[in-house]
Amino acid sequence: MHLQASILWKGLFSIGALSLILVGLPSSAEDAGTLYNTTYDVLQGERYFERQCSRCHGFDAKGNDETGAPDLTGRLSRANNPVGIFNIVRNGVPNTAMLPVDADLPDAQVWQVVSYIESLRYDPASVELDGNPDAGLALFLNNGDCASCHMVNGQGGRLGPDLSRVGESTRPEDLMTAITNPHEDVAPRWWTLEITGPDGVTRSGFRMGEDSFSVRIMDNDSNLWSYQKNNIDSIERIERSTMPSYDGAMSESELDDLVAYLFSLRREGN
Amino acid sequence: MNRFISTLCALLITTITTQVSAQEQEFETVMTPAFSPITWERLVNSKEEPNNWLMYSGSLDAQRHSSLDEVNINNVADLELKWAYQIPEIDRAETVPLVVDGIMFITEAPSNVVAVDARTGRQYWRYDHELPEDLRICCGRNNRGVAILGETLFMSTLDAHLVAIDARTGNLLWDVEVAKHDSGYSKTAAPLIVKDLVVTGMAGGEFGVRGFIDAYHPDTGELAWRTYTIPGEGEFGNDTWSGDSWKTGGSATWITGAYDVDLNLIYWGTGNPGPDWNGDVRLGDNLYSDSALALNGDTGEIEWYFQFTPHDVHDWDAIQVPILADLNIDGQDQRVMMWANRNAFFYSINAADGRFLKGSPFATQTWAQGLDANGAPVRVPGMEPTYEGIMVSPPITGGTNWYSPGYSPDTELFYVTAFDGEQIFFKRDEDYEEGERYTGGGGRYDQPIDAFKSWIRAIDPTTTETVWEFPIMPRSSAGITTTSGGLLFSGTADGYFFALNAETGQELWNISLGRRVHAAPITYQVDGDQYVTIASGNVVYTFGLDE
Ligand code: HEC
Ligand code: HEC
Repeated sequence: MHLQASILWKGLFSIGALSLILVGLPSSAEDAGTLYNTTYDVLQGERYFERQCSRCHGFDAKGNDETGAPDLTGRLSRANNPVGIFNIVRNGVPNTAMLPVDADLPDAQVWQVVSYIESLRYDPASVELDGNPDAGLALFLNNGDCASCHMVNGQGGRLGPDLSRVGESTRPEDLMTAITNPHEDVAPRWWTLEITGPDGVTRSGFRMGEDSFSVRIMDNDSNLWSYQKNNIDSIERIERSTMPSYDGAMSESELDDLVAYLFSLRREGN
Repeated sequence: MNRFISTLCALLITTITTQVSAQEQEFETVMTPAFSPITWERLVNSKEEPNNWLMYSGSLDAQRHSSLDEVNINNVADLELKWAYQIPEIDRAETVPLVVDGIMFITEAPSNVVAVDARTGRQYWRYDHELPEDLRICCGRNNRGVAILGETLFMSTLDAHLVAIDARTGNLLWDVEVAKHDSGYSKTAAPLIVKDLVVTGMAGGEFGVRGFIDAYHPDTGELAWRTYTIPGEGEFGNDTWSGDSWKTGGSATWITGAYDVDLNLIYWGTGNPGPDWNGDVRLGDNLYSDSALALNGDTGEIEWYFQFTPHDVHDWDAIQVPILADLNIDGQDQRVMMWANRNAFFYSINAADGRFLKGSPFATQTWAQGLDANGAPVRVPGMEPTYEGIMVSPPITGGTNWYSPGYSPDTELFYVTAFDGEQIFFKRDEDYEEGERYTGGGGRYDQPIDAFKSWIRAIDPTTTETVWEFPIMPRSSAGITTTSGGLLFSGTADGYFFALNAETGQELWNISLGRRVHAAPITYQVDGDQYVTIASGNVVYTFGLDE
């Protein structure tokens, strides 16, 4: 796969986009954030983040379910632009552990933090790929038979993750790995469990949910089964992927087409 | 003989209490809480009135063991929900309620208390503490419970105040500032009553505070004594801090301690030295951070200390509840303090003089080769946080943390919520600024935290060996309570409440409550019926048997 050199993984938000967003917003931000997005500002923002925010959001801003603080490196749920992030940091999220920053913290410093958070994300529009997404769609539906396992926008199978928005959260090189080397890093949701239940029947299925006392699976016919661990005979875990590897099964350019298609799968309007 | 008299007293008191509640029953409507005042004698003998849960850890020795056995290994599977109380402010509940003669006192985020009928969960009164806007808190708006003496409740508040509240009405009696909240101090733990004083700690170890333990007069809120957990200039141990670092060295005291009546010693743990992850600015052992302190019950003077992690650079607070019991170790009957530390080692320590008796890891750790004859860690070199990051076990959250452990005199086992994990530790350079976070680094997991393993581990404190373990998936931050019904109660981070056989670790009952259990269970009795209570998510649930 060939990514073009111009990819800006850590692209800062563009000045043009920001000024557009600012128009007409009754923002509590008095400064324009654009003034504080130099490399120096991002570094200052990172310093502030490590000191004030990392306890909850993690040193890498990837979130910490221990504290309930979300991952800030992907799509945010409460803000979709820098002003929104500014307001969250300034005002907190009411009735949650996310408290406002010090009232006397200058706006400039808040903007630096915003710039840092923005720097953790990237603008998919700045990514240019070799493949052809339309050709990729055709492969996905036909030769690749991907749709027999994966759903996209409500169409397809249930034997793999829904890929309707896979381009939002996954980078092209990781999409390529998912297709060519599916056994690397299989999420526990897609492990296969073989369970012999109290009825003596052994069923095998995806690990939908598991905890200290119970386990739930979906078998290949999409039947859902729930077990109490204290009355099952045996449980076996297969941590390999059930997805075949397409390495060698497709040409390099076909793989590029698939990746281009998958990367185009995002929420409407993005 | 001492014991005989106290038993006699307790018997008398129990008789009186029974009479009172018998009288109350004649009235259909009880207008005020039916409890009789909680004297120091009642607290000393709390085990003799297992119908009540009179302090954070149940008894002064902090065993969290109840002699109630109506609910037991044979019928625990029949437990059913009796009532649920919803806390109005959304936050995680770390409350350990008290139960006094049928009244339950529940603390809530941010710093409120509610009194409810322990049979129904319906409210008598509530106290809402007014808080300033500019709180400095590291880890959520937590409150873990109140203490009671006489007819007064004592509560720590997030703005670093101690308040006294009338237990019958919720009226505020007094409110004293323990420390300046805008300098980074806060208070979250239940106080401990010691004779006629309210002993209480503080939080703020991530803000460059200087830790202390205080005692207040219950009637007036006047300070009786303060013992700093970092020695001042000229005092023993001050030279274990380079330069002026002792002034901002943390060593907070944010969990409730224990007390031994015969030895007249208060046992209390201290937190991490500050800044947490950058030890360069505070060279030396950093006394008395990460230590168990034994304080004189009258004066607060430090009689002995045991430092678990000298010059800590991993944030492994010794913020655990110390548990006391009479044990035979190495052929000697002695009063022992048991301690499963955040640094992943379990310790048995002589409670009279602080002598190390035995110790070994109870959770995965890579930072020490073991403990020497005095219980000091023999360190693995090169485990300090770096600018680039270095992988160490246990992670910041520790082999365990502040979650209450338990000890059952029936099984003679110590129970702890253990975590086998690892984390990348980073160091950063920071300057101290009053009221600002001062941590000098942080940590990062390189896998989802659920990929690691949690356990309930049962430890024989005479050998420090793990006798059984029960796996928790994905993990737990709940406390543990045992009963003479042969039961161990605890919870999980994904919202289970469950009972195990305390002898064997075998699972006997569980119920999904749907939200993290982040508190410790209690058990009590009203009108002869035993109940078990646990906070999960934002709700306090109470279970009992079908009558
Ligand atoms: C005490 C823990 C804590 C600290 C400290 C903290 N946060 Fe948060 N943060 C949270 C929690 C919890 C949420 C989720 C709130 C919600 O939406 O329920 C959150 C949400 C957010 C969000 C919104 C995320 C989204 O998906 O929309 C942003 C942005 C954010 N925090 C930034 C920061 C910054 C910047 C700092 C440091 C100045 C910080 N946080 C400090 C706990 C914390
Ligand atoms: C037999 C069923 C099956 C087929 C056919 C299949 N997959 Fe998958 N796929 C899975 C499963 C199961 C997973 C999740 C486990 C894993 O990560 O490998 C998965 C994972 C993925 C992922 C990663 C998704 C994520 O959220 O990280 C991508 C991308 C993907 N598949 C693309 C494809 C494409 C493109 C094809 C066709 C060329 C295809 N799959 C064919 C079952 C299948």
